[in-house]
Amino acid sequence: MYVQQTATSAAKGNFRWIWPYCKPDALRVVLALFLFLIDKVFTLVMPILAGLVVDEVITKGMRERLVPYLVAMIVTQLAHTVTRYGYQMIMERFGQNSIYRLVSDEFEKLHTLDFTYFNHTRTGDIMSRMTSDTDAIRHFLSWVTYNGLDCIVMFFSAIAVMFTIDWRLALALACVAPIIFLIARTMARKSHAIFYSIRNSLARLNSMVEENIEGNRVVKAFVREDYETEKFDEHNDDYYQRNMKLAYNNAAYIPWLDGLSISLQLITVVLGGYLVIQGSMSLGALVTFQSFLWMIDGPTRQAGWLLNDLQRFSASCIKIRKLLSVTPRVAETEAPKTAPVRGDVRFEHVSFAFPDDPKNPVLSDLDFHVDPGQKVGILGETGSGKSTLVHLIARFYDPTFGRVLIDGKDAESWPLTTLRSQVALVMQDTFLFSDTIGGNIAFGAQRSGSDSGPGQADQEFIRSMAAIAGADSFIRSMPQGYDTVVGERGVGLSGGQKQRLSLARALADDPAILIMDDTTSAVDMETEAEIQKHLREMAGSKTVFTIAHRISSIKDADLILVLDHGRIVERGTHEELVAAHGRYWEIYHKQLGLQAGVGTFPQDSGTNSSDEGRN
Amino acid sequence: MAWKKRTRSEARRAQEAQAAQKNAQPQQRNTFREDEELEEELNIHDITRIAAYLKPYLRRVAKILAAVLLMSLCAIAVPYMSKVVIDTVIPQKSMWGLVWLAVTFAVIIVVYEVCLRYRTVEIMRVGQLMLKDMRRDIFTHIQTLPFSYFDSRPHGKILIRVVNYVNTLSDTLSSGLIGVISDIFTFIMTLVIMFVIDWRMSLWSLVLFPILLVWVRILQHFQRIAYQRLSNKQSNLNAYIHESIAGVKTTQTFAREQTQYETFQEQQGSVRWHWMHAVHIQFLMWPGVQNISTMTVALIYYIGITHFAGVNVSTGVLIAFIAYLNNFWNPVINIGNFYNQLITCSAYLERIFETLDVKPDIVDAPDAVELPPVAGKVDFDNVVFRYEPGGRNILNLVDLHAKPGQSVALVGPTGAGKTTIISLLSRFYDVSEGSVSVDDHDVRGVTLNSLRRQMGVMLQDTFVFTGTIRENIRYGKLDASDAEIEAAARAVDADQFIREMPAGYDTVVEERGATLSAGQRQLIAFARVMLADPRILILDEATSAIDTRTEEALQNGIRKLLRGRTSFVIAHRLSTIENSDEIFYIDRGQIMEHGTHAELLAQRGAYWRLYESQYAMLKVESEELGKQA
Repeated sequence: MYVQQTATSAAKGNFRWIWPYCKPDALRVVLALFLFLIDKVFTLVMPILAGLVVDEVITKGMRERLVPYLVAMIVTQLAHTVTRYGYQMIMERFGQNSIYRLVSDEFEKLHTLDFTYFNHTRTGDIMSRMTSDTDAIRHFLSWVTYNGLDCIVMFFSAIAVMFTIDWRLALALACVAPIIFLIARTMARKSHAIFYSIRNSLARLNSMVEENIEGNRVVKAFVREDYETEKFDEHNDDYYQRNMKLAYNNAAYIPWLDGLSISLQLITVVLGGYLVIQGSMSLGALVTFQSFLWMIDGPTRQAGWLLNDLQRFSASCIKIRKLLSVTPRVAETEAPKTAPVRGDVRFEHVSFAFPDDPKNPVLSDLDFHVDPGQKVGILGETGSGKSTLVHLIARFYDPTFGRVLIDGKDAESWPLTTLRSQVALVMQDTFLFSDTIGGNIAFGAQRSGSDSGPGQADQEFIRSMAAIAGADSFIRSMPQGYDTVVGERGVGLSGGQKQRLSLARALADDPAILIMDDTTSAVDMETEAEIQKHLREMAGSKTVFTIAHRISSIKDADLILVLDHGRIVERGTHEELVAAHGRYWEIYHKQLGLQAGVGTFPQDSGTNSSDEGRN
Repeated sequence: MAWKKRTRSEARRAQEAQAAQKNAQPQQRNTFREDEELEEELNIHDITRIAAYLKPYLRRVAKILAAVLLMSLCAIAVPYMSKVVIDTVIPQKSMWGLVWLAVTFAVIIVVYEVCLRYRTVEIMRVGQLMLKDMRRDIFTHIQTLPFSYFDSRPHGKILIRVVNYVNTLSDTLSSGLIGVISDIFTFIMTLVIMFVIDWRMSLWSLVLFPILLVWVRILQHFQRIAYQRLSNKQSNLNAYIHESIAGVKTTQTFAREQTQYETFQEQQGSVRWHWMHAVHIQFLMWPGVQNISTMTVALIYYIGITHFAGVNVSTGVLIAFIAYLNNFWNPVINIGNFYNQLITCSAYLERIFETLDVKPDIVDAPDAVELPPVAGKVDFDNVVFRYEPGGRNILNLVDLHAKPGQSVALVGPTGAGKTTIISLLSRFYDVSEGSVSVDDHDVRGVTLNSLRRQMGVMLQDTFVFTGTIRENIRYGKLDASDAEIEAAARAVDADQFIREMPAGYDTVVEERGATLSAGQRQLIAFARVMLADPRILILDEATSAIDTRTEEALQNGIRKLLRGRTSFVIAHRLSTIENSDEIFYIDRGQIMEHGTHAELLAQRGAYWRLYESQYAMLKVESEELGKQA
């Protein structure tokens, strides 16, 4: 993290909040400011030179001065453009560097957040925070800043010069300033809420399209393209309406500001004319006075737009600050380097409920112990809390009551990275990165901190891991083998293939605790048996948790837990549980019946040619 | 004025620019690391296509233009009136004149106000309406694209095409375009006035113009390349962010935050570098115009004052001419900025049109008819399928027939072509040879909608949308009543778990069903198909991850579901398909064996071997059970 979000930072204004991100580039800003001031001087010199040409050369006929003046003009213009280019580039760099730090922090923060956050926050919304919101901030830092300053400097220096010419007229014009400010501020206040709603609408649109893209198979399977388009139209129209709201808000105020800038001319001409006619001001003075009008004209017109940009900036700040200030429920504890995990797991009266639904405990009073290297099977109905149980081991959630002990030490006191790098969880939802198959498996093999890619030796390793997971043969049958690129979520592969890849990836991590959450559900029986065999051969030191629906996947476990509605209703080994004639036995019985169909087994068997005809 | 122009060009960049890949073949996968090819020329064709979006709003645009011209008239009138005051009213010391002038002034301000208000709203409206149309076009277009389009690129790259970089066009299309039209108008008017004042000086003031053109032309070349590169990098970064969010759980599971972070910073650094480079070129445009304009002014002063080359003008004319010269350069700067913007936009525009140009492989035949409600007879006649002409045959002479109401099972090793067969049936691909027909209608001769509507497909990946469970089930039949939905859920035994949820059927499911277990998602998907009540049902390994009790119930549900429907079932576990009317054993794209379960066992072929091996495993267990029981 570039900037640590503290409790006090929540109360800060947006500027004070953003400042630490800009601070390392403070020197750049100073330099830009310096160039800016020089540039302002050049800007003022230009009209003076033009005036000199008219006064001295044309009116007074000093021909010999013509060429020097003209050269001076060209040089000044050149210097003006160079300095301007200079500070523009510096500010651009400043903005880029600042948001680089900001987005990096967002990215890092995102990875510290827990599953609860992601379960309830839509991808499209996070995307908006990391792209369009940060861009509003960049726009503010590298553009609005110097243009705003420009306006202020121009306005006040023009007023100052005008005071030296005629204070009464200047005072009359200066009176307009508070009105400008009031109008611009009212407009900006109203637009703040609109900007906020526009960006929320955009996030919704984003999420909707995102979901449509992700679910394109279902959309097609049900021929719901029209329905999806209807949904899209709704969001599209909403976004349009909100933008129009902004337009109406602008239309309500911007013309007043523009009108004011014209009325400055009106005041000058009418009041000035009156003063001249009265004789208390010279005509020449009025003409000079008028020639400075353009300097306040611009700032007047821009005030509204600039404040609008400021509002957009602050609306985006709020969104980003919200993301950065989420406290992960699972908090990292600072702990000294510890020895690698051995794999001893103990649940002490663990209960768990999701924070958004505290009345419905997902797990209640779990109490069990697993020695290093033991195999645990977990069986239970859909929604009985199996996945939540294993998530507690990798500390994706913290228990509501009770403790989870890893190697006799509270999981909460383990450093998260140490713990998670030792616990490999293969989830139901397999996610593969858009990378090669080899690269996806190597994702598990990289030791954190090392940035070198997988070498030749690693390729052997990857292949052997794939073989254990029963994936080697199908990978090799693909046209590009291990170099085949798979898409996000591994589309293009079958469910069973994806599961085998993610298992290989987990194995490559060489964890002390391996958790398989229904990892082989979509794998055919033969391959599954093969994988089971491989795992038995390799395991030994690993503690393995297996969640499965098929008894065959877990019956060799040292401990089998049967879960029902978050409670352990039966525990023991396969033999014990079968002998107990309880829930487990019932499931087992049914399963055999189900799998054997009507139960009519052919009389003879004995052939064990399971691999024949398989890939 | 110059300020506003700058805002536009800035805002255009500010809208978060992205681009995507070029000419991606369906086979070539695209990851966040890949860049796309660059194309050099600004395409006139793209501009005409953009114009097509403007067409429905031409009337509005005409009105806006009228307002803009009226505003320019007001803007011209103001300095003229000041001149009248200074030259006429004050010397004559006419107080009445002053009052009249003030009144006229006030009228002008009111007219200006009204026009400005109208313009502010209407420009936004036209621009936003165009964007809305464009977004909708892209969205409806991608609905027609095949799976392969979605499978072959990161979803982040598709996403930004629909939303983000349509938005980048926003300012260019609305205010930019209208601004430039009035600028061109001003430019021509000023030029005419200048020539009327003094044609020789006018010619002189155009002397440096070619240099400007060369300058713009050179910059344009580099700027275009720079922006294309930038948009590529932004697209990559976006895809990476998107993927990181989608895969954050995986990253956390493996504790790989650090490596992900490093890759991210690398990507971000690359965007920053290309941004600075692109901006560096873009910022050079303005100094060029400014300096050339100053040089021109200096040149005119010199010529006017020294009477160089026979130019002879009075001082008054010279000063007026210089004033007009400034008027002349202002629109030039604005037009230059607009051009600048257009070039930048074209990097994004190209990607949008490129998306629109992707032709879906499968479209309705021109003479396609609605498929009438079918009985469910399905025929595959010697079907051959390959992905590309001359490629490997994925399916080879598949001949498969199903009578209405028959259940067909497809068995075979992974990659044998089972899924391809059912994809051909719902026409996600077209056969290369042979034909697929439903009730004797060739699937290529009927509309896709009418065909797919009569089929229910259950896939391995059960996708759940954000929304309530009720809405998710209703996806199967949009006009279903609550009672129908609950009946469908009951039929597949999903009713119970749904009722146990905190808000029952109205429980909100989060994105991708993150708060549901895989089994629960499957049950919802089953209810969805049940509700859709299709004549032909396709189950592609749909029952893999369900616990025994649910599966048992589900199999009953499926039995009910299958009743009276033609069904195609792909399953690993033979027990689930033993009762099928006909079983096809597929290997290497061919039907190796077919018949009923009993027939196939009697054949003692591949199916028998498969069955034996599964049975062997079960038998061991069953013996154990026998022992223990």
